[in-house]
Amino acid sequence: MEKMSYVKCSIFTAACIALCIVLPMAFHAVPMAGPRFLPMHIPVLLCGLICGWPFGLLTGLAGPLLSSLLTGMPPQAFLPSMMVELGFYGLLTGLMMQFVRTKKVYLDLYISLVTAMVIGRILAGISRALIFSAGEYSMAVWTTSFFVTALPGIIIQIILLPSIVFALEAARLIPRRYPKGLNDK
Amino acid sequence: MLIGKFVPINSIIHRLDARMKIVSLIFLLVAVISTSTVYGYAAIIMVLTVIIWLSKLSLFAVLSPIRRLWLFFIVIFFMNAFFFSSDNPLFSWWIISFSGEGIRQGIKVVFNVCVVMILGNVLTLSTSPIDMTNALSSLLTPLKLLRVPVEDVAMIINIAIQFVPTILEESNMIRKAQTARGAHFESRKLREKALSFLPLLIPIFISSFRRADELSLAMEARGYRNAKRRTKKAGVPFRVLDVTAVAACFVICIIQIYI
Repeated sequence: MEKMSYVKCSIFTAACIALCIVLPMAFHAVPMAGPRFLPMHIPVLLCGLICGWPFGLLTGLAGPLLSSLLTGMPPQAFLPSMMVELGFYGLLTGLMMQFVRTKKVYLDLYISLVTAMVIGRILAGISRALIFSAGEYSMAVWTTSFFVTALPGIIIQIILLPSIVFALEAARLIPRRYPKGLNDK
Repeated sequence: MLIGKFVPINSIIHRLDARMKIVSLIFLLVAVISTSTVYGYAAIIMVLTVIIWLSKLSLFAVLSPIRRLWLFFIVIFFMNAFFFSSDNPLFSWWIISFSGEGIRQGIKVVFNVCVVMILGNVLTLSTSPIDMTNALSSLLTPLKLLRVPVEDVAMIINIAIQFVPTILEESNMIRKAQTARGAHFESRKLREKALSFLPLLIPIFISSFRRADELSLAMEARGYRNAKRRTKKAGVPFRVLDVTAVAACFVICIIQIYI
């Protein structure tokens, strides 16, 4: 598989961080759109999928931080927990894409995405229960905030992210994960 | 929308060291969050007015992010006013609870978000990309102990800030193009309005990544490999003006915490 250069990964990461600021701005006019549609999660997961774990982690940490500094959202009270949560997503999608190789791109993408989303939510829940909302956090709150309220966002991510990866491959902006062999032509 | 676009003017705020501007911004953010009294809010407004006046930036440029999000602020205010749980509600029905505390909370949240946006905007409007990169790189230096490539991280963050206005512009163009093809983005129903943004996502990602691809090709063609190999002139020492600005912001922060 042809690998993307370090410079290209860096610039793609910058684009993903910028999208972490721009996408939520489009949803700000809608009440509860952030926790429901999770617009900031999409660039973070995408960066982990196409650039790898160090860049995914950076996007997860820097995206909410810059967005909070430039647009005031997320509010500072939620910023640390959100940075940790998104950092986990970026890190885990990158790691999963590195280790999962089924020879089928769709399968790789879905396994990495779903595993990162589930483990990321568990780790984010643990971090909130132990650090950010110690003593006030419950299983019911975790289930509601991470799965019930966020259900539209989860569905959007599962449908949209593989499509974006394929669109980027088709536009030759990222290399194919499994290059087509001569027999495939 | 001018978020992230540097406006070169000769002003005191522009001349301040970028590292000190970032540290001052952090102190002021803490001050804003700690504010809870009317005097505190008045002080923050005064400080903000002085900063904008010293920066010589046009009020239009400084306030442009707020103008764009007016609907968001109204929604946030009314959500706090009508859904904030209070012991003494003026009016209460089902989950709705309209109270004086809710109104105060709504004003506080909207005020805080506005001030943070203005301060962030003044920082990006008054700091050149090169200065911002060097400042971030300098402030992140302790992370080198953890083997974090701070120069690269600073470069990525700086490029991200520069990308924001470009991506916003492209998003508007894509939105107009889709509208010309018959798409509806102006639905009065908020849920429909949110869902109408979804068809825009893939084109926005493709155009953003195309821009990123062009930039990376241009950088590689000019021999750029990574920021660590770059050389720079000797470090710029802090001046009296820089130290004074940080000290002033620190004092404001302490006063706001203990008021």
